[in-house]
Amino acid sequence: MRIAAWVAIIVVAAVAGAAIWTHLPTTARAESYTAPRTADGSPDLNGIWQAVNTANFDIQAHPARPALALVPGPPRAPAPGLVRATRVEVPALPVRALGAVGGVPAGAGVVEGNEIPYQPWALAKKKENADNWLERDPEIKCFMPGVPRATYMPYPFQILQGTNKILIAYEFAGATRTIHMDTVGDSPSSTWMGWSRGRWDGDSLVVDITDFNEETWFDRAGNFHSDALHVVERYTPVSPHHLMYEVTIEDPKVFTRPWKMRMPLYRRFDADAQIREYKCVEFVEQLMYGHLGVVDPATGTINK
Amino acid sequence: MLTKLVMLIAGASLIVGATRVSAHHAFAAEFDSTKPIKLKGTVVKMEWINPHTWIHLDVKTPKGTVERWMIEGGPPNALYRRGFTQKSLPQGAEIVVEGFRAKDGSLRGNGRDLTFADGRRLFVGSSGTGAPKDGRDAAEK
Amino acid sequence: MQSRSIVLIGAVAIAGAIAMPACYASPPTKASSPTTGRTAWGDPDLQGVWRYEAAIPLERPAQLAGRATLTAEEVAARERVEKEQAAKRLEGLEGAAVGRRSVAESPIRGNEYNSFWQDHGRPRQISDRTSLVVDPPDGQLPFTPDAKKAEARSSARYGVGPFESYLDPDTGERCLTDGVTGMMWQGPNGGHNRIVQSPGYVTILHEEYRDRRVIPLDGREHGSIRQWFGDAVGRWDGDTLVVDTTNFLDRTNYEWANIWTRPSESLHLVERFKRVDATTIEYTVTVEDPTTFTRPWTAVIPITKLPDDTQIYEYACHEGNYAMPNLLRGGRTDAARTSSR
Repeated sequence: MRIAAWVAIIVVAAVAGAAIWTHLPTTARAESYTAPRTADGSPDLNGIWQAVNTANFDIQAHPARPALALVPGPPRAPAPGLVRATRVEVPALPVRALGAVGGVPAGAGVVEGNEIPYQPWALAKKKENADNWLERDPEIKCFMPGVPRATYMPYPFQILQGTNKILIAYEFAGATRTIHMDTVGDSPSSTWMGWSRGRWDGDSLVVDITDFNEETWFDRAGNFHSDALHVVERYTPVSPHHLMYEVTIEDPKVFTRPWKMRMPLYRRFDADAQIREYKCVEFVEQLMYGHLGVVDPATGTINK
Repeated sequence: MLTKLVMLIAGASLIVGATRVSAHHAFAAEFDSTKPIKLKGTVVKMEWINPHTWIHLDVKTPKGTVERWMIEGGPPNALYRRGFTQKSLPQGAEIVVEGFRAKDGSLRGNGRDLTFADGRRLFVGSSGTGAPKDGRDAAEK
Repeated sequence: MQSRSIVLIGAVAIAGAIAMPACYASPPTKASSPTTGRTAWGDPDLQGVWRYEAAIPLERPAQLAGRATLTAEEVAARERVEKEQAAKRLEGLEGAAVGRRSVAESPIRGNEYNSFWQDHGRPRQISDRTSLVVDPPDGQLPFTPDAKKAEARSSARYGVGPFESYLDPDTGERCLTDGVTGMMWQGPNGGHNRIVQSPGYVTILHEEYRDRRVIPLDGREHGSIRQWFGDAVGRWDGDTLVVDTTNFLDRTNYEWANIWTRPSESLHLVERFKRVDATTIEYTVTVEDPTTFTRPWTAVIPITKLPDDTQIYEYACHEGNYAMPNLLRGGRTDAARTSSR
């Protein structure tokens, strides 16, 4: 009787133990975090998020440097007895007065393998873009930043999960993306922010983006794409306070193969965190149009 | 006929009402109403941006040279909702532009009336534009 | 006693084994339902793409002074005219009200394009109301004398100038915004609005200028940072969404196509969104701004839900604003002509 009782207890305990064990999160996933759910059962990615890195300066690893636009110092005849060994590059005149405010901080980069597989012509064009940054970077003119650049610009963004549509509200230039979680037709035209179709893969939001125009850059280092760009993003919750963001870039006109970027996105949980206006169009009107009218508003004088 | 016209005007003005429908068009600042243009040319590309689309047009002059014109159109969004896309005005299409020339005399104008070379209006029925008959054009049903 | 203990332990263990899976199961899902008209968490569902499609003017026309409604005959007459004109508009053969028949008749100012550019293929709804403004009862905007002068000046300048610098075109021509006051119902180049609801927020995405408002519903106080669109806080009053917005930037020194939409530091907007049927939100806006108006005024605007496959398209305005350099060049040409006389 006593032995039978013990056997019964052991069997029951084993059954209960097995029931507990099979319901632990699988160890196949790197992090064993399961995001809470929204009221309609989807993973809850609602919130205000921000990347904290230097990817907007340069998505590849880079040392610090004096400015975003540098010009070579002219050759100088050496003074008697002196030989200058190094070439000098100085901040370009339009940014010189910013001093250390205009410098570029070092960063590890966010590109897997740190290599962007440009086709040879495209690598040359990237260098040309970098050399002509002031004239060419669309960020300077407050143009919409495209994807994925909008994700890692130094401003917060907000994920707003509605029924069938998820909006991402970016602060820079008030750019917004609509992620269609339902079936939609095609975009009628090429766009700056792309046409986003999303779905859930476990806890991850996977977004497939097409119909980009060729106007946006990936960073301030001149990294670019064509209108054949195809982007796939994964937003995976890995703790209550951060997402892991992985994005695959594909563009057969510019790159020899697809490549990826990866970075954490941090939840902004400070009490007054919110997306504010950064309506920069009027910040750049003097730059773009000041010299075009009859009068220059900066000086009040007649334009020649 | 006159009564009908008067009624149309009377009725219509009551519908539109007092608020200026500001389509944000500084027409008189950009274009010169004393310089009407009528151009026939082939489409090089069309920029489907807001609030004005822009059509780049190659126009053959009587001398036999080709001039590149930029023609300002209206906003594209209503066209999208009627089934037109950026593929709807293909490169090479022959169109006729009636409008007014840019004030500074450059090769720019506004395309007040846009028709195909055979007189059919642009962007009215998709059958006229080469847009795919994909069932989205209500006029085709 | 031992056998009772065994049974007890066994029962507890079995109960535990049964209960365990339930902890890890997905919580019951509750999707938004078109029949209940509520979001999954129980708020009235305002989501979708909306547009003002009625033909009621903002202010009561002079010839209808004193009359808040039209007679049935007048409504019928307008319905006839609208029916005749709707087909013509789509073909670009619009009637006198919307455009002009030929290039020769084109006026210098106003809407210069054939209406197929702006017609969405949906007929306008005819109502018996004579103005959107319901208070003051005369259906007129109660401008201050200064604001009335500003409105007259803006009207005279519209489309004509002079344009000496980028400061002279109106905020819309500069690709900035047309303001908040008319956002739910104005926008000839893209007056659609998408409303998205997520827990704690209602977000409105306006197509023109891609204007966007993210409205928190957590009962927070207004902050202190001023913005073009102010600082909006929302709450539910029964089934009505009430949005209170203050902290606007002073933009009265900018050119506006419509003065009644310009923000000042004293502007205070109260909006009410009430879904009255499956396809209609009754939108009420009360505008209080002593800088522009002698007293608060209120408009009631019916906005219509569009089919679910209607999208908001990207509005790249500043990214392709050729009109700005063009009109500035035009301004210089004008100045050169004037000075050469």
